Amino acid sequence: MIGRTAGPAMVDRRFAADAEAHRRDAPRFCPRCGGGLGGAGIVTEFWEADDRRFYCWCGGCGWAGEVTPSGPGVVGHEPEH
Amino acid sequence: MLTAEQNDELTQVEAGTPMGEVLRRYWYPVAFTRELNEFPVKRVELLGEFFALWRSPSGRLGIVPEACPHRKASLAYGVVEADGIRCPYHGWVFDADGECTEQPAERENTAFQNRVKAQAGKVEEMGGLIWAYIGPMPAPELPRFDTYVMEGFRDIGWADLPCNYVQIMENAVDPHHVEFLHGRYFEFVGRHEGFTAPASFGKEHVKIGFTPFEWGIIKRRVLKGASEENDDWKVGHPLVFPYNMRVGGGGIHQMQIRVPINRTTTRFILYTVHSPDGYEHVEQPVIPDYEIPVYDKDGRHVTNYVEGQDIMAWVTQGAITDRTTEHLGRSDIGIAMLRKMFREQMDVVADGGDPLGTIREPHERIDLPCEKDKFHAGGAQFALDFCDMGSTRFSPMLDTIKKIHISAADKIAVEKAAADS
Repeated sequence: MIGRTAGPAMVDRRFAADAEAHRRDAPRFCPRCGGGLGGAGIVTEFWEADDRRFYCWCGGCGWAGEVTPSGPGVVGHEPEH
Repeated sequence: MLTAEQNDELTQVEAGTPMGEVLRRYWYPVAFTRELNEFPVKRVELLGEFFALWRSPSGRLGIVPEACPHRKASLAYGVVEADGIRCPYHGWVFDADGECTEQPAERENTAFQNRVKAQAGKVEEMGGLIWAYIGPMPAPELPRFDTYVMEGFRDIGWADLPCNYVQIMENAVDPHHVEFLHGRYFEFVGRHEGFTAPASFGKEHVKIGFTPFEWGIIKRRVLKGASEENDDWKVGHPLVFPYNMRVGGGGIHQMQIRVPINRTTTRFILYTVHSPDGYEHVEQPVIPDYEIPVYDKDGRHVTNYVEGQDIMAWVTQGAITDRTTEHLGRSDIGIAMLRKMFREQMDVVADGGDPLGTIREPHERIDLPCEKDKFHAGGAQFALDFCDMGSTRFSPMLDTIKKIHISAADKIAVEKAAADS
């Protein structure tokens, strides 16, 4: 039967590298209180254009915010003038 | 994307797990009222545990774990008696408070009875449903949300789905899916099956927003051709934490209920009240319930109605979707917010507090914010599309419901014409 499923879903091996990158790069500590985010908080990763973003919540102090890895370079902007 | 550990924690329902302990602070519908009228005891699975639910001849409701404390036979096969449920095996009796009141083969006046309390939960009836609370005492009040107590014509659709409830709840904070799953995909199915999908579901999203409030998260959208002054943004509709979503429009009020039966089974219930302006009371001695189709005879999902499309999307994600390899975008930010809310409430409960959306004050009715002019599609037209293109098409009351909406619209039109003349 096409639609029926049972038991936990299989890990999608096509994106194992993304899962590994998440485990490597997801922020581990709260930028405000320094508490661990892994156990007492939660970090959800999403994409916005080329940016990987981590929406974080710290269960220790209640801080919530987004962390965006920038790589070694930085990009400025030039408003129209 | 989450780690495997976070996905595991988020999706657990069992006692002793952080999320399972959160879920045990809420009331759940575990039977239709008519079921206990037809037979007074029912086996119930909730949050991965089995229970015996019964109603005594006097009308008192009770729920206890299924296994008899004596030798573990099922109390769901018990004899319903005036003061409780009698185990079919050796006749021990447990009352609605879980006290063992009889041990027929044992000596009387011993402390033995006191050692074998059955850890009863609380049970109440509301709106044609039997509700149970199986968490720590004292139980909070059963929240009397508007849909369950308002005037109107009711029916209840349901299906048992082979997936974890969290992926269904994530759909409740995912506005964009509407224009594709219920818009473009619906059109595609309609083209091949020979029907016209409702145009209002395919409207393009311009803006989405999410606001936490005392019962969960209010979801808002601005659709193309509308503005922030339209109901879809100004009012929105709520995810009611942790397992409901309130929707409506066109004189229809609905609570979409997602009961975690166990970790990979969710009972999906569509509790619907038809109460358009101009509605005239219709007697309902019994509130009808009906099963909605999930699969066709070939095992494929039935996707030519709105909720069937949702069910397809939820179930095909897998029994517990693998969030370690998902790829969320900015448009999924409501999902990140919901996961944060689940995680927050785990801490609240671990610290001994009452989680979001529990209430301890007695009350008559809780009104939830919900848009009336859904998708700015017009009241009666939205209602008829809802009946023909949604799960209501499978309701045994379909004809009655359509007549209710048409006659109410006619009545309002006559009244308006009279007022204008």
